[in-house]
Amino acid sequence: MSAIPYAATEVPEVLVQRQTPSGRIAMALAVLAMIGVAVMPLWASTGTIRSVLVLCCYIAVAQMWNLLAGYAGLVSVGQHAFMGAAGYALFVLAQTYGVDPFVAVFLSLLVPAALAVPIYLLLHRLDGPYFSIGTWVVAEVFRLTASNLPLVNSGAGMSLRVMKDYSAFERNIAMSLLCAGMLLVTLGGSYWLLRSRFGLALIAMRDNPVAAASQGVNVVRLRFLIYVASAVGCGLVGAIYFMAQLRITPGSAFDPMWANVAIFIVMVGGIGSIEGVLIGSLIFFIADRWFGEYGATYFVVLGLMTLLVALYARTGVWGLISKRWDAPWFPIQRKLVDSYR
Amino acid sequence: MQWFDALVQGILLGGMYAQYALGMALMFGVMRIVNISHGDLVILLSLIGISIATAWGLGPLPVLVVLVPLAVLMGWVLQKAVLNRVVGSDPLPSLIATFGLSIALQNLMLQIWSANSRSLPGHGIESQSLEIGGIYVGLLPLIVLAVATGLTWCLDLTLKRTRFGRALRAASADVEAAAMTGINPRAVYAMATAAAVGILGFAAVFQALRSTVAPADGPAQLIYAFEAVIIGGMGTVWGAFVGSMVLGISQAIGFRIDPGFGVLAGHIVFLAVLASRPQGLFGKALS
Amino acid sequence: MTAVLSTHGLVARYGDFQALYGVDIELHQGEAVALIGANGAGKSTLLRSIMGLLPVGREMVLLHGEPVGGTATDRMVQKGVAIVPEGRRLFTGMSVEDNLRVAIDQAARMGAKGGWTLPRLHRLFPILKEKARAPVQSLSGGQQQMVAIGRALLCQPRVLLCDEISLGLAPKVIREIYAALPEIRATGTAMIVVEQDVGLARSASDRLYCMLEGRVTLTGRSAEITREQIGKAYFGAGHAVV
Ligand SMILES: Nc1ncnc2c1ncn2[C@@H]1O[C@H](COP(=O)(O)OP(=O)(O)O)[C@@H](O)[C@H]1O
Ligand SMILES: [Mg+2]
Repeated sequence: MSAIPYAATEVPEVLVQRQTPSGRIAMALAVLAMIGVAVMPLWASTGTIRSVLVLCCYIAVAQMWNLLAGYAGLVSVGQHAFMGAAGYALFVLAQTYGVDPFVAVFLSLLVPAALAVPIYLLLHRLDGPYFSIGTWVVAEVFRLTASNLPLVNSGAGMSLRVMKDYSAFERNIAMSLLCAGMLLVTLGGSYWLLRSRFGLALIAMRDNPVAAASQGVNVVRLRFLIYVASAVGCGLVGAIYFMAQLRITPGSAFDPMWANVAIFIVMVGGIGSIEGVLIGSLIFFIADRWFGEYGATYFVVLGLMTLLVALYARTGVWGLISKRWDAPWFPIQRKLVDSYR
Repeated sequence: MQWFDALVQGILLGGMYAQYALGMALMFGVMRIVNISHGDLVILLSLIGISIATAWGLGPLPVLVVLVPLAVLMGWVLQKAVLNRVVGSDPLPSLIATFGLSIALQNLMLQIWSANSRSLPGHGIESQSLEIGGIYVGLLPLIVLAVATGLTWCLDLTLKRTRFGRALRAASADVEAAAMTGINPRAVYAMATAAAVGILGFAAVFQALRSTVAPADGPAQLIYAFEAVIIGGMGTVWGAFVGSMVLGISQAIGFRIDPGFGVLAGHIVFLAVLASRPQGLFGKALS
Repeated sequence: MTAVLSTHGLVARYGDFQALYGVDIELHQGEAVALIGANGAGKSTLLRSIMGLLPVGREMVLLHGEPVGGTATDRMVQKGVAIVPEGRRLFTGMSVEDNLRVAIDQAARMGAKGGWTLPRLHRLFPILKEKARAPVQSLSGGQQQMVAIGRALLCQPRVLLCDEISLGLAPKVIREIYAALPEIRATGTAMIVVEQDVGLARSASDRLYCMLEGRVTLTGRSAEITREQIGKAYFGAGHAVV
């Protein structure tokens, strides 16, 4: 056996660079913000905690929709089905069966996971835009089923009275920790996924599913996994949101408003990027505070903005920003740089 | 007897759904687009019709005569201003655009007409009925079914026999090849959407006559149209018609079982068809 | 005499990929020009650019001296340019007759005049009459190619572009189809014929262009060009002549 001289197989030495200065700053800020959310009871009033919780729910739901529409090419308008399903599961487990609510929050995630599998197997048979309406029908089926199901008290809805066993301060601590966890799972999880070996496949799939398939990406399986992951993510949001609400009804659990919110946030902020979701969520949250009182007029404007973005600015605000400055907050592309020996 | 009655009522209800479904089948068949504001357009047209009827004291037939051309114009504008910019192989832009339009339309209607339910005065026809084989059948639902059948037949003949129909089918098979044959796809698309929304003009009048309409009713209409199209099999006009009947019958029978179960029964039949025969009852299986 | 159709420094891209690098060709009244070249040379891209299927500069394509580059495809048909596209691109799900009628309809709409009618086409390709009612996808490859040619002719073109009409067909069928070309030329229609088979291309044309990697590498009268010249132009310098 002869030794193969190294020089013969030498590869030019390069470094794969994946972090950028803007990325480091953003990452530091994100970690600080996450810690800030986790320790909210130390600095915030109950009212503020509730507002931050709603903002976090917007961010998380929007990111789950972004994962589906922006990467997997699955445009769902019925993700609220999974929010409601997990919300109801939490109430049934905690209220009806006496499971500790903070355990039930996590157990309830099994329900959207288990439901997402058969639903995807059914719906993926629908062609492009019909898939979307199909997801909506599923959400309607869930709502109507809940309205007729004695187990969940039919149309009258349920209350989470067991939460009375905890003091307001204890609840605030729990909600803050859950909020931080939710952001970590949905945003951090997505970021991790996009930087993992699946990330390249996901981005290839977003840019061109046919070409990605020909390069060995198992598009069908990846889409399925993303659908289930997104269902679980939405379920987590639903469980936390309704735990904070202390009440759930078929109408609130399966409210299409969440689809509107997710679509608005992602499209206006910028589809296919985490930065876009953050920007979109802030825009929506602030708009909701300032203009929410105008009711219908406000929604007319939101609707028209969504329409205009789809017609003229498909990459949203973040697309416009990143065209001008190449400073990603959450860099996912790999850059090859020459290394100095 | 009770079940036979449900069957008849279901078919009559299907006549209403067919009027929503035809336009959706047409638009999807030609452009691969689903207009999420489909149902909202029906409601918008209904509310305009009701306002016209009250303001000018018109009966249902004159309202129809005014509303259908208006609907055709709306469809044409919708295509020129919105849909022509978003047709393409990626479904996202058209979905998002029409989704935004749907939200805007619903809330605009809410502001103009308030959340109340309204209906179109029928000057008596809504209460007339005929006795057929021992069951009473409303005259108005019969008219709705007859009109739906007529519209389906006309649309089918138009697609098969006319210059416009051939151009539509050609553009639906291969847009680029259609352009190479001298067809202007955008013009054909504009006419297709004009026809689709024009049919909604009929639906709007009959919906407002048969029951009530409120600004938030659009999404339900969209879903029924969609279910009918998928049950029947995508891309065929008679398929959409039969799908509407199946949906109507399912809902009517479900309603007899339990009033809370009617709409859900329709959804369940839709899901069952999707599970067992995804190409729809009339669609050809993909090889 | 100005050319019926000409390109001037024609450049075309698919996204970042440049497929044509300044192509100049000319087509004269009643002439048949062959376009040869290896797979991927850019022949189809050239025809597609002329038809307005790819964005190109206005001055890059002239029709009767008028700049028409980038004109919408249906407007090009209206101006008298028709194409038999690569892969035939028939309207599946429609009958043979309906496929042809689409072209007749549009020609009538545009008021295009020319000698092509359904009966005349049936005399050229009798099988199309026999199969008029059959769904177009049920036809054999050669018959489908006849429908594609017929569809283009019924657009009443003064310039006809044919993209690899012999591809995948049996030699007998190819002869049958090429036998129809003289009759088409007899109506005064000028033609560009893209063809992989060099012998066939030479015999069916007056002049010939050879393309390689997005450029024209050889042009001349089909009867006068030598095999050596074609070999060089086809594969680039340095390759052995076959
Ligand atoms: N739709 C397309 N997208 C990207 N590149 C293309 C496309 N069509 C053709 N090409 C490329 O353009 C070049 C020329 O192709 P084409 O004109 O089809 O060649 P030819 O017809 O001479 O075989 C080839 O390199 C081909 O890979
Ligand atoms: Mg080619």
